Amino acid sequence: MSSRKGIGLAAFDRSRLTSAQYATHGSALRSTNAQALETQLSVFRSLLQQFAQTHAKDIRSNPTFRAQFARMCAAIGVDPLASSNHSSDNGGASGSIWAQLLGRSVNDFYFELAVRVVEVCGETRPENGGLIEVRKVRERIVKSRVEGASDITEDDILRAVGTLKPLGSAYSIVRVGSKPYIRSVPKELNTDQSAVLEAVQVLGYVSVSMLMVNLHWARARAQTALEDLEGEGMLWIDKQSEEWEYWSPGFMLESQDPGIPG
Amino acid sequence: MQSQTTTTTTPPPFQFPREYSFPPFFTRQHNLTTHHAQLTKWASLVLSYCRHHRLYKLTLSDSSASQFPLFYNAKINRRLGISDIREVVEFLRRDGRAEWVGGSDSNNKEDGGEGGDVVWIYWRTPEEWAAVIEGWVESTAQRGSVLTLYELREGDGARGAEFHGIEPELLQKALGVLVKRGKAQIFGNEDSQGVKFF
Repeated sequence: MSSRKGIGLAAFDRSRLTSAQYATHGSALRSTNAQALETQLSVFRSLLQQFAQTHAKDIRSNPTFRAQFARMCAAIGVDPLASSNHSSDNGGASGSIWAQLLGRSVNDFYFELAVRVVEVCGETRPENGGLIEVRKVRERIVKSRVEGASDITEDDILRAVGTLKPLGSAYSIVRVGSKPYIRSVPKELNTDQSAVLEAVQVLGYVSVSMLMVNLHWARARAQTALEDLEGEGMLWIDKQSEEWEYWSPGFMLESQDPGIPG
Repeated sequence: MQSQTTTTTTPPPFQFPREYSFPPFFTRQHNLTTHHAQLTKWASLVLSYCRHHRLYKLTLSDSSASQFPLFYNAKINRRLGISDIREVVEFLRRDGRAEWVGGSDSNNKEDGGEGGDVVWIYWRTPEEWAAVIEGWVESTAQRGSVLTLYELREGDGARGAEFHGIEPELLQKALGVLVKRGKAQIFGNEDSQGVKFF
């Protein structure tokens, strides 16, 4: 070791010097690399931002556009859920695009809406037996929101109910006549019951003789269907009329009494 | 029902909830869950109606209840039957929001006043009234002073207070709560009772 020339104390200095040089160069490379990435990222972000900005109105107001946008974000690897960090202060870049532009991410939007749907179904289940018109759900949700919140459509609500599916929940959409309902109890309606509920939509109530006249049912059939639905809590009975009337609890939520006979 | 009507301007009409225009609301529902929802709605309607009109007691005889707007919606010609009304009252009672008059003094009637016709409706319970009075005494710095019960109910000093015009018997109950807690002392005889707050 000590036999060769040139290896003295200075060698230590030299090697220290080179390694220091390598280190600085390395860190310089790293930083330029990072800088380039950062620029790319910020360009991308600003583009996304620009896109979201120009289409913010559409995203907020147009449910299909909203869904498409979310799908696009998913395709390019932006997770709308991960980037919706509400608590980050406005300086924080991550997630604030969504927070700034939409107030929330699109998926968040549906999940939050789904929570509200579940709440409304739960609140009203005691009075409607777990069957509620989508329109009524929307009415209630819209009313409970603070003003300035973005508008929601029945379509949004249907979509929100769709997001509940992975949870294996009992929430599903059923059609009665032309109108969609949310069913929040595991109960199948038979065709007679569906027919009754459809008939109820007209006046808000129905009676045995009304069913007999309009659907040409036998008395027993009409009676059974009505009593079944009443037993399930999906219809309310009024015994103070000439003939017992079976009312849809949805008419209780109606804003003003359009269906009340004089 | 209200004993003295002071110069109160007529209050704005009571805003009935939607279910009040829903005919089946006046028929007892069979389904247990539905019935419970119905009772809950009736209970909150009774409380808010009484609060609005500052009614402290209701008389539940057939004749008085059948025309009483709370239980009779003339517009749709539906009324809540007397037995259903009693059920609502019982529902409230279990919640501590109603009490048969004379019912709690078990020494005079064994059946607990169930058959009675008059019922307290506690949109504020005596305990809550006690807290209101205590807060008022505190905020007006009248601790240690003596007030007559009449002053509390009708006096000018208490004009803005929430308990102004309160039913005398209910005032007694509320003050009783304070006495029990050692926060007040009642003295004097029937006609001229006074109370001292600590």
